[in-house]
Order: sequence, then C-alpha cells, then structure tokens
Amino acid sequence: MSELFPRKQIIGFIFSLILTAAALVVYFMDLSFAAGMTVLLVTAFAQALLQLIVFMHAGETEDKWSIYGNVYFMVGIAIVTILGTLLLFAWDM
Amino acid sequence: MKAGHAQPLEYSTHQNDLNIFGFWVFLGAEIMLFATLFTTYFVYEGRTGTGPSGAEMFEITPVLIETIVLLTSSFLIGLGVHAMRLGNKKATMAFFALTLALGLVFLGVEIYEFAHYVHIGAGIQISAFTAILMTTLGTHGMHVTFGLFWGTAILIQLKKRGLTPETANKSFIFSLYWHFLDVVWIFIFSFIYLKGMM
Repeated sequence: MSELFPRKQIIGFIFSLILTAAALVVYFMDLSFAAGMTVLLVTAFAQALLQLIVFMHAGETEDKWSIYGNVYFMVGIAIVTILGTLLLFAWDM
Repeated sequence: MKAGHAQPLEYSTHQNDLNIFGFWVFLGAEIMLFATLFTTYFVYEGRTGTGPSGAEMFEITPVLIETIVLLTSSFLIGLGVHAMRLGNKKATMAFFALTLALGLVFLGVEIYEFAHYVHIGAGIQISAFTAILMTTLGTHGMHVTFGLFWGTAILIQLKKRGLTPETANKSFIFSLYWHFLDVVWIFIFSFIYLKGMM
C-alpha cells in the first residue's frame, strides 16, 4: 500500500524544524507583544496541524470526519475555556 | 483507506477500528486536560510573588534541546509506523526503540531543568507562577514517563508475537499518543517558554 521511501514523513519533519526555527524569531528579534504572539500562534497551530495530518494519519480512514470533528470540537472548547477565563481573570473586563 | 489500497494491519478488524477511534476520543479529553492547565498558567503567569519570573528562570539551550529531541522522536515513530505498514518488523522495532531512547533523553533534560529551578530558588512552593509552571510541565513529563513504560511493553509484545493485527493496532495507538505529546510540547515551547522569554 505505501511506497518504500517515507517521503511524507521526511517532508513533515523538515517542515516541523522550519516552524520551530520560525518561532525562535520571537526570542532572537525584538518584536512587539502582538507581533510575537501572532508568530507563536501561527507556528504552534501549523505545527499541531502538521502532526495531526502527516504523522497521526487523522484523515486516512472512513472515520475521518468523526476524528476531525472530535479534535476540532475539543480544541474549540479549549480555546473558549482559555479566552473566557483570561477575559474574566486577567484582562479585567 | 482509499479504494484500491490494501488495508494496513492496524485497521484490519472492526475491533481495531474501534480501538483507534476510541483513542482519538481519549486524546480529545487530554486536549481539555492540558487546556485547563494552560488556562491556569496564563492567569497565574504574573503572580510571581517574591520568586523569579519566567524571563529570569528560562534558558533557551535546554528548551531547544528538548524541542529538537521530541520533534525527532515524533519523526522516528512516524518512520516506525511506515516500516510497520511495509511489514518490516525489525525496522519497526528499531524505530520504536530509538523513539523511546530520545524520550529518555528528553526526560533527562527536563529533570535537569527541574533540579536547576529548585536550585535557583524557584521550586514548586515559591509562588503561584512556579506552582502552575511545574504542574503543567510535570503533567507533560509524567505523560512522557508513562509513554516510556507503555512503549517498552509494546516493544516486548512486538518481539514475542511479531506484527499481528493486535500488536500493529497497539503500536499505531501508541504512535498517536507519542505524536500528541509532541503537540502538547510545541504549545509549552511556544506559550510558556518562548512567550516567557519574549
């Protein structure tokens, strides 16, 4: 079923290293808080998607939509929990 | 799998399908577990009391080592699953063993880090910040530790029973767990360490 050479995995690994290097920009350069957070959010979520699709094979079976549905629902709840709590306890609103 | 492709071993029975989907549901619950830890972390991040802040505690070198090691281990277990689908038991076992070895390296660096934090007066009881920091990092570290035992058990089963629908299924599920820990680490790396040192 699969080809001998693990092309997908190697490309995925290279991309994950590139994303890590990109995230390091916030450490080595003097970015504003907003710019830094944008970089981190983009690289972290891209990295998570990469693992999900390339390495965890989330989309390869008929359960595909149940798996993505489950994960995205939980991520949604997680984001609501984090932002909602920050809104109440950290951002003084 | 797509039509025209043979089914990989780990999906070869209905029970196997259910096991894999059930594990995804478990991972959904794990997302929420770490979300609550991150929530608490973000709220307590600034509550350092008389203790040090993240910017004063964190060092880039050990964190980068941990990140590269975990990313590489995630890649290696991906190769392990690839080898498993080609039916190569030896290569599967070798990649899984390398994955676990890197997991051990990760854990070693993390333990060094914790010892260092305690040494510089940033133990878990110092402030709300150090408490939630170490709880979050520790929960991830505990997952990795558990993974080392689990992975070792998988290796023993692969050695004894070879690649069967059951052992392939267990190995695949373990690989999902390991990739998930890598994802959690990416968020720790980005939103605890890098954000703290920004």
